[in-house]
Order: sequence, then C-alpha cells, then structure tokens
Amino acid sequence: MFGTRGHGGIFTFNRNDGYFEALVRGYRAGILTQADYANLIQCDALEDMKLHLAQTDYGDFLANEPSPLHTTTIAEKCLERLVNEFVHIRNQAVEPLATFLDYITYGYMIDNVVLLITGTLHDRDVTELIEKCHPLGFFKSMATLSAVHSVAELYNTVLIDTPLAPYIQNCLLEEELDEMNIEVIRNTLYKAYLEDFYNYCKELGGETEMIMSDILQFEADRRAINITINSFGTELTKDDRELLYPNFGVLYPEGTSKLAKTDDIDQVKEILNAYVAYRDIISDTSAEKSLEDAFFEYEVKLNKMAFQTQFGYGVFYSYIKLREQEIRNIVWIAECISQQMKSKVNQFIPIF
Amino acid sequence: MSGKNRIPIFPTRMALTTMKSKLKGAVTGHSLLKKKSDALTIRFRAILSKILQNKQLMGATMREASFSLAAAKYAAGEIAHTVYENTTTATMRCRLANENVAGVHLPTFERNERIKDEGASNPQELTGLAKGGQQINKSREQYVKAIESLIELASLQTAFITLDEVIRTTNRRVNAIEYVVKPRIENTISYIIAELDEGDREEFYRLKKVQGKKKRDLAAKEAEKAQKKELEGVLNPGSSRHQPAQQRTILEEGEEDNLVLFS
Repeated sequence: MFGTRGHGGIFTFNRNDGYFEALVRGYRAGILTQADYANLIQCDALEDMKLHLAQTDYGDFLANEPSPLHTTTIAEKCLERLVNEFVHIRNQAVEPLATFLDYITYGYMIDNVVLLITGTLHDRDVTELIEKCHPLGFFKSMATLSAVHSVAELYNTVLIDTPLAPYIQNCLLEEELDEMNIEVIRNTLYKAYLEDFYNYCKELGGETEMIMSDILQFEADRRAINITINSFGTELTKDDRELLYPNFGVLYPEGTSKLAKTDDIDQVKEILNAYVAYRDIISDTSAEKSLEDAFFEYEVKLNKMAFQTQFGYGVFYSYIKLREQEIRNIVWIAECISQQMKSKVNQFIPIF
Repeated sequence: MSGKNRIPIFPTRMALTTMKSKLKGAVTGHSLLKKKSDALTIRFRAILSKILQNKQLMGATMREASFSLAAAKYAAGEIAHTVYENTTTATMRCRLANENVAGVHLPTFERNERIKDEGASNPQELTGLAKGGQQINKSREQYVKAIESLIELASLQTAFITLDEVIRTTNRRVNAIEYVVKPRIENTISYIIAELDEGDREEFYRLKKVQGKKKRDLAAKEAEKAQKKELEGVLNPGSSRHQPAQQRTILEEGEEDNLVLFS
C-alpha cells in the first residue's frame, strides 16, 4: 500500500498538506457552539430550527425542501454537506494524505458492504440498496452490482475489487458469508480495518501517530467493551466474542482476555476499574447518561485535542468525527422537538 | 276499535288454548331476551371504559417507543436499512381465539411468539453489537410493549363492534316481541274470547227464547182446557156428573138403533 514513508514534519508538512489543513481548520470553526445549541433548543418547530441553522455556517442548506420538514431530511442534508466538504478535500489531496483520507472512508465502506451482502443473501434487488448506502463509503465497483445475483458472485466480482479486499480475504471465506451472522461479519471486518489503520498511522509517524493512536486505541477499547456488554444473553459465544476484539488498545491483551470471560456487566465494571480513564467514564454514567453517551463524550474530548497541534493528519479525522457528532446532536434536538419531548432535549453532547 | 291487528284464525276453544300457550311462550322469550340484552349491555359498557383506558395507554406507549427509536438512532447510527434487509419471517405473531359471552362469539387476538420453541433464534439480536446495542434493545422492548397494547386494543375493538351488532339485534327482537307479537296474540285472544262469549250469549238467548215459547205453548194449552171446561159447564147444567159424554161410541149408537128395530 502507498504511503509507507511518513509525512513531513514542521519544515515540510505545509508543502503538500498545508492548504488542506487550513481548509479543515476553517471548516472546524463553523462547528456549532453552545450558543447555537442554546438557540436550537428553544425552537418549538422544525421550521424554527431551519431558521436558526440558516444563521450558522450551514446557511440555506434546507432552503429547497418542501414545507413539512422531517428530521430525516435534516439528517440527510447535513450529511450531504459533510460529504461535499470531505470530497472537496479528498479530490485535491496527494499522498500520503490521500491514503489517510481513504482509510477514513473504509469504515463506512464496511457498513455498505455488509448491507449489500445482506441484501444479496435475501435476494433483494441490490441496485436499490445503493441508495441506502452511506455516501462516504462508495467504492468504484458499485456500478457492477446490477449483475450480481448471489453471494458468491458478489464476493468474486465486486468485493475483491474494493479496498476492503485484504480484510475480506484474510478473515472470511466465501462459504462463511452465508452462515455467519451479519453482525459478526461486520465486526470482524471492522476489527481488521482498525488494526490496519492503526499500523498505518504508526508508519506515518509524527503528530499523526501521536493523535491518532490515542483516538484509535480508545475506539478499539470502546468496541471491545460494547461487544462484551451487548453479547450477554445472545447466541454469541465467548470465544467468538474474543475473536472480535481488536489486537491493540489500552485493554489489550490483559483486559480483553478478562473481558472475554465475563458474564455480566458488574464483572465488566470491576475489570475496567483498573484503567483510570475507563473508571472515570463508568463512574460518569447515571440514569440519564448511558454508557454510550459517556463514550461519545470522551470521544469528543479526544477529537478536540487533535486541533491543538499542527502538522498532523489527525485534524482531518477529528473534523469528520466531530461533524458526525454535531449531526447526531442536531437530529436529536429535531426529534425531541417534533415528538414533543423537550424534557430530554439536553441529552446531546455539546462540542465547543 | 284498534285496527284489529290480530292473527286470522277460527275462533274455537282449542284455538284459544293454543293462543294462550303462544302468549306464555312469548312472555318467557321476552324476559330471556331482555336478560341477555342486559348482560351484553353490561359487558359492552365495561369494554367501552377499557377501550378508553387502553387508547390512552397506547398513545403513551407509542410515543415512548418512537422516542426510544430516536435514542437508538442517536447511539447506533442509521440501523434501519440493515434491519429491513435482514428480516426473513415475522418473529411476533398474532393468533385469533374465540370467547363466548352470553352466547355471543367474540373474536380475541393473542400474541403468539414462536421464537424459543423451534430453536429459531432471532437473527436480529446482535444488531448494534459494537455500538448502541443497549439502546437498540431498549427500543425493541418498547416496541414489543407497543405491539402488545395494540393487540389488546384490537381485541377490545372487535369485541366492541360485534357486541354492538348483537345488542342491536337482541334489542330489536325484544321490542318486536313487546310491541308486535304480544299485542297481536293478546288481540287474537281477546277476539276469540269475544267471539266465544258472543256465541255463548246467542246460545243463551236462543235457549231463553225456546223456553219462553214452551212456556207460552203450555200457557196456551192451559187456557184452552180451562175454556173448554167452562163451555161444558154451560151446556149440561144438571149433570153434575162429569161425564165426558161427548163422544158416544158406536156400540151405544147401535143400542139406539136396536130400540127402533124391535118396537
């Protein structure tokens, strides 16, 4: 794969990537602030939200929508805007930034591929599924999907051409695709992806490695914890569960081997008490704030830190993640307003 | 007279007995139907109040369910498409059962979950394994509750409609008996009784008349006899003998002739 040499440091980074870093920092300045959220919370209808959003960096992105506005429309349009910004950068980027940005998209590509496999398994029309795919995860061989009618064909003609091919080849055999639970497939692929991304960041070195390793380690640990907790009482065996834990992170290898043996959530909490950061996260949860919320908050914190240094690629990754959190926040507020549940509206995570 | 709405039938005593037993039958039927109608109405009112309660509960449950879906989407992202594509058959089904209330068959719906029995596990249970799984499970539970309350509501509403129908028919029958059948029978009975009475009266009158005639005849005969006796008394004053000499016999007439012959 490309980009085995690290990117430039203080002296040479700006030559290739300075423009893009500046661009991203400009975008970052447009992320909604507490004041914006305060305005949004006070809206009584989605039309008011549209008005308030028009005064932020979002501008008239909802201008052409027909009158009864739906939360799904808002979500789509926000995502579209994010995708446009990303594609703008990606189209102009050179190596190794280009590969880094591609890595960011592989996560979404995995979701899309899983959706396609599911659709093919159940004999649905695969071309319809293309509309439901995440736009950041499009890959070139999507155009050939109409010729695919079985999982074997999907595997051989489409999946092999994607950048995900190495992950698929290493972890999954063609026959297994039919039998394995789709979520297990998804998580196996994601584990391979995370490990690969982590190694790539290590190769890049410099500020990128510093920032991204923290973020990716947290992601790996978070997935391990979530998989453990969510697999209690399901048909996922402990061995299978252990296979899904990524092989890096603060919890690896002791924490993960302990987690693989647990049976309930109290044991999990005990294990996590040994790790300071996670102990704090768990003690932060309450009836109002679930574990997921605490994880989101910690993730936002880590991502914000990426902008404190320069000459690293972490800003690109963090910008995408922060924007996603913002979209989640906006959609949450919109749902609370439209479902008349304003008492719960404050459960989003403010970013800046 | 009141229109004479009665059953056309020949007024005999047997007809009267038949009509009387019919009336008894109508009265019993009427009271039974009334009881049925009352029982059904009580049940109807109970169902009505339950429906009201249930609808409110359902409104609240559905609201919570949609909200839990929003929370699940917040935590796990856009899961909808994967979930749709992954569905094969229904995990939650509904079964129709029959309930009998005062002779009325009411359909009821029951929840029928067939997961654990056939070892068919729910393939969707691992959705959101790495992210948002708990919120998804919570949402799933909320929606299951919502479906249960919907099933209950459906049972109640079908029962409501069926009962309404049946109560209407029963009431119609009750009213029919009370305002149509019974009056007709009663009118018929009174007509028959009237006819019979009239016949009786006629009979009586005839008898009286015959009696009177007989009396008159008797009286007339007496009078004639008395008259004849008077007449006799005038013609034969000396004869105190009561000889009924009016009629001489041929023998006596023959004696007179003998006197003439032998002199």
